[in-house]
Amino acid sequence: MSERSFKKEVQSLRLGEGEVFRGEGILAVTKALLQSGVSYVGGYQGAPVSHLVDVLVDAEDIMSDLGVHLETCTNEASAAAMLGASISYPLRGCVTWKSIVGTNVAADGLSNLSSPGVKGGALIVIGEDYGEGASVIQERSYAYAMKSSMWLLDPRPDLPTIVNAVEKGFELSEASHAPVMLELRIRACHVTGEFVAKDNKRGAFSGQNKLDGPPKFDFNRLSHPPVTFIQERNKVEERLPAARAFIKEHKLNEIFDGDIADLGIIVLGGLYNSTMRALERFGLADGYGNSRIPTYVLNVAYPLVPDELILFCAGKRAVLVVEEGWPDYVEQQVNVELRRADLQTKVFGKGPLPQAGEYTSDVLIAGVAAFLRETRPAGVDVDAVDARAGSLLARKRVAAQQVGDLPVRFPTFCTGCPERPVFSAIKLMQRELGPTHISTDIGCHALAIFQPFNLGNSILGYGMSLASAAAVGPNMAKRPIAVMGDGGFWHNGVITGVASNLFNKGDGILVVMANGYTSATGLQYMPSSKSARDGSATGMSIETTLKSMGVKWMRKVRTYSVGTMVDTLKEAMKTAQTGLKVIIADGECMLARQRRVRVEEAEKLSRGERVAKARYGIDDAICTGDHSCIRLSGCPSLTVKPNPDPLRRDPVANVNQGCVGCGLCGEVAHAAVLCPSFYKAEIVRNPSPRDIALARWRKRIIGWLGGATIEVEPALEPAE
Amino acid sequence: MTVPLKILIAALGGEGGAVLTNWIVAAADSLGFPVQSTSIPGVAQRTGATTYYIEILPEKLPGTAKRPVMALVPGIGDVDLVVTSELLEAGRAIGGGFVTPDRTMTIASTHRIYAMAEKIEMGDGRLDPDKLLNAIAENSQSVLLFDMDDIAQRNGAMINAVMLGAVAGSGRLPISESALTAAIEAEGKAAEANLKGFRAGLDAARATQEQAKAAMDAQARGQIAYFPAPDEFAAFPDATRQIIAEGMKRLTAYQNAAYARRYVERLKPIAAADKSSGADGKLLAETARHLALRMSFEDVIRVAEAKLDPARMKRIAQEVGAKPGEPVAVTDFFKPGIEELASILPSFLARPILAWATRRGWLGKVYWGMSVQSTSVSGYLKLRLLASFKRLRPWSYKFGEEQVAIDAWLGLVARAAGRSPDLALEVADCARLIKGYGDTLKRGQGNYRAIVTRVIEPALASNWPPQHAADAVASARAAALADPEGESLARTIGEIETRGRLEMAAE
Repeated sequence: MSERSFKKEVQSLRLGEGEVFRGEGILAVTKALLQSGVSYVGGYQGAPVSHLVDVLVDAEDIMSDLGVHLETCTNEASAAAMLGASISYPLRGCVTWKSIVGTNVAADGLSNLSSPGVKGGALIVIGEDYGEGASVIQERSYAYAMKSSMWLLDPRPDLPTIVNAVEKGFELSEASHAPVMLELRIRACHVTGEFVAKDNKRGAFSGQNKLDGPPKFDFNRLSHPPVTFIQERNKVEERLPAARAFIKEHKLNEIFDGDIADLGIIVLGGLYNSTMRALERFGLADGYGNSRIPTYVLNVAYPLVPDELILFCAGKRAVLVVEEGWPDYVEQQVNVELRRADLQTKVFGKGPLPQAGEYTSDVLIAGVAAFLRETRPAGVDVDAVDARAGSLLARKRVAAQQVGDLPVRFPTFCTGCPERPVFSAIKLMQRELGPTHISTDIGCHALAIFQPFNLGNSILGYGMSLASAAAVGPNMAKRPIAVMGDGGFWHNGVITGVASNLFNKGDGILVVMANGYTSATGLQYMPSSKSARDGSATGMSIETTLKSMGVKWMRKVRTYSVGTMVDTLKEAMKTAQTGLKVIIADGECMLARQRRVRVEEAEKLSRGERVAKARYGIDDAICTGDHSCIRLSGCPSLTVKPNPDPLRRDPVANVNQGCVGCGLCGEVAHAAVLCPSFYKAEIVRNPSPRDIALARWRKRIIGWLGGATIEVEPALEPAE
Repeated sequence: MTVPLKILIAALGGEGGAVLTNWIVAAADSLGFPVQSTSIPGVAQRTGATTYYIEILPEKLPGTAKRPVMALVPGIGDVDLVVTSELLEAGRAIGGGFVTPDRTMTIASTHRIYAMAEKIEMGDGRLDPDKLLNAIAENSQSVLLFDMDDIAQRNGAMINAVMLGAVAGSGRLPISESALTAAIEAEGKAAEANLKGFRAGLDAARATQEQAKAAMDAQARGQIAYFPAPDEFAAFPDATRQIIAEGMKRLTAYQNAAYARRYVERLKPIAAADKSSGADGKLLAETARHLALRMSFEDVIRVAEAKLDPARMKRIAQEVGAKPGEPVAVTDFFKPGIEELASILPSFLARPILAWATRRGWLGKVYWGMSVQSTSVSGYLKLRLLASFKRLRPWSYKFGEEQVAIDAWLGLVARAAGRSPDLALEVADCARLIKGYGDTLKRGQGNYRAIVTRVIEPALASNWPPQHAADAVASARAAALADPEGESLARTIGEIETRGRLEMAAE
């Protein structure tokens, strides 16, 4: 039950030979896996490949027909370790995660996997979370491919090429006995398109056709000295040449000719479309990939194939290397290979193009124009190109000036999110006790770093918040607070954080946001979810785990009770008791809750059963427009509107239709002593006779006293 | 050669931008047009701003033909249709260079979803909509602007369906209406509501295009109703009468007619000061506006009265969408402290109570939390009891304190008018700092006092040059509204004082 269901879309995974598949990149990858005869798949969710995990889960019955085992791993290390099945056995397997961070977590397993190498094809689909929309540090996964001798595919972002990369990726892995990484950038994961499908294939061995047992003991399959020394040599002396031969033979890289033969562009597959568009803007390419400048598309980013490269560069005055991010690994290798071959082709790359940052349309326009300026090819009006680039970029600058600085819309907690009240409470606690160090973690709760909370002093990685405060506490007068989600807790926080803290007799406070899902990645189940993906109980709980580990001070607080949370935090800050203090902030993810409750309520309503629904509101006449309530909440449904009072100017606060009635605004107004303008209105649909009688009596008595209450009957005039 | 149509859609997380994109892609697909869309997944969708990008080649290609290479990101100056679910997001698309007068049609909803930075300001942090509308007009080849949120709400649909209707009605999409409705139907989910939203959006788009400018009018501020001018208004210039009438109406409701007359009396010296300083009625109007608000200071009596207002219950019933026969229960939250309760007592009782509470350190610490069900009989009676203190209000402790403070403020305004109308206007405007209840009020009063004693009074006492003084007051006031922690105010006042000392030393 993830945030997005692919139940309908996964039916296209059943398509057979010759049928046309239409859909998103992620779904196409899944189809390609089934066409490749995988025996097992797994992964850890995270944008941009969260949906790949979701698709796999939703496709579980299709996969079990094929005998494919699916594992929703608790972190990327366990996903990487899964590939161990391909070391000794002819089993094709694929795992997926978000990179760079997931690859970092997986790194130990990957080193130990790539040293002995694999027998069955091992594919890692990494979502390269780089550029617009990225939620992690900006680093390239390329370094991992180089250092561990894994091959890195970076296919052109169109579906047939991506599907081919998956299928050929397995073959490449088997031909060279090395794991293969397939990199998909954010937009490529969600690009729509079509390709001609093939039949799904059963793996050589699978759940339906099991292996008898292990082969004879083979030291070479273990990453342990002394064989690691042999394996190191194998990587460069056998696997690398085998990989290069395969890439060349199967033409995984593509060369497109053009009439300006003395220049060339070497572009990573993933950046091909953007580069073509930049050329098209200058009239140097048409809309169908016919470029006047010859282009060498590296669908395999690592390893480069020197023969191919030299052949492409021979006779060229200059080439432009288009690769995003730093370091400029490809450009460096191109320079080295040209030097070795003693070719004098000049290499441009970082220079006309920036060293850091995403290659958006304006960056590529400026970069291509600069390259042409430097090389001045015959038959191209370079001055016109330059003028066009200049005017396009200038126009953008003028437009940006015209609209001025626009407020950024940072992501924030959803309406009714159970985590928001915890930060309201932390803010109120700090008002009284002063600020303390807050180590933040990865997850929705990290959104507290943005307005209106601006809380958090460090983010060190997923599940690392408590560990990252280990040396802060002993050096600071106040106890530090570590915030961690339940997702981060199981991802590794329970070991890196809690066990280490207890083992070292640490102090400090750990707030665990127990919302029941890995919510930031799209509501996947995790070990302490109410149920596993098949609906059965997980049998794991954060509380019992912490208790058995020896945590003495533990409180479980309903997150919406801001007052109680403030008191609990204060107690944790002030108590003389040393040792780790854990507050379990208990509140189900509102997104998940609403999805469930909405369906339940709709059913109840259609059955004619009583449904009471609360929402909050603000009296315009009483709100004075200071917006303290917003600064302590930041709820999307708590907003402002023009002041209806002709004498007042500042906009008044307003609760919009998005309110889900979580009650936080009332709690905050109460705990912070803000203002009496908030009210709760509870409407009863399908009221019982008792509800109606009570309402009638109230109306009658209050009416007799000269007041007004809400009409029950006669009917209200409908709103215009 | 046919070129693709390029569409950039900007929406906020949760508005269904992905579904809108899918509808367009599916419709194009059904016509055999090569089409590609991309989007940005992930945490940006947690209510942040996000974009979707579509390219459609409006030409049926045979299966064997070479497919076009379509971009995954929009290009600057290379977008035909920019479709945004909200006004600020249209501005963002312009700032990104995607809207150009040679080819871009901007289709945007004119309503605003305020960004956090706009909402958390202590005063008014909203972006000027006219600036956005002007930028849209100047950078677009053509525009289609109307309030799609309003249409969505009125038709019980999501905004994405209305946006699709607007795109269809723009006449720029090479896709027929029937292909789009088929896409909605094929999607299945909530098809009926979506079709309704689509049709409403389509109609509005056509109507808007006919009228061309209809939606360009920015939200008009509520007009002040005409109020007949009694004789006592003779002292006031015409331009100020509406505000003064509004003030009188407010104070009559707040207390009684006598209190409203006291308001008018208080304004007479200001009217004279306005005239003699050449403020052209501006000083009087602003002071009259603030004075009405200051005289109707917030107390539990006013709150109780507002909560009892019969119109209120009707409004709430509409807000929650109560249908006939559906009971609505309203709960109000109060948390008065010792000060709030003491403030409605007469001074001889209030003073010792406050002194005692101060000694115990209870002020600002001890509160009574109450949730009152205003629609129940007992809750109603509680509110009535509080509201009944209204008649005794003129003898209450807070009333007395407020009148003294108001007169002191008016005195400062009059004195400042003797120096310059600008300075007087700035001093009058400082009244806006005093608002709210509890912590908010305390903070505002503290800020106001700091500005009076450290900026206004020194400025008047030692004859700062009027323009310098006016600037100092204005910047201190802006600083007071910059952050609730008071850091900017402390810094600004520090700078003003340093400058003042330097100037004095120089003289």
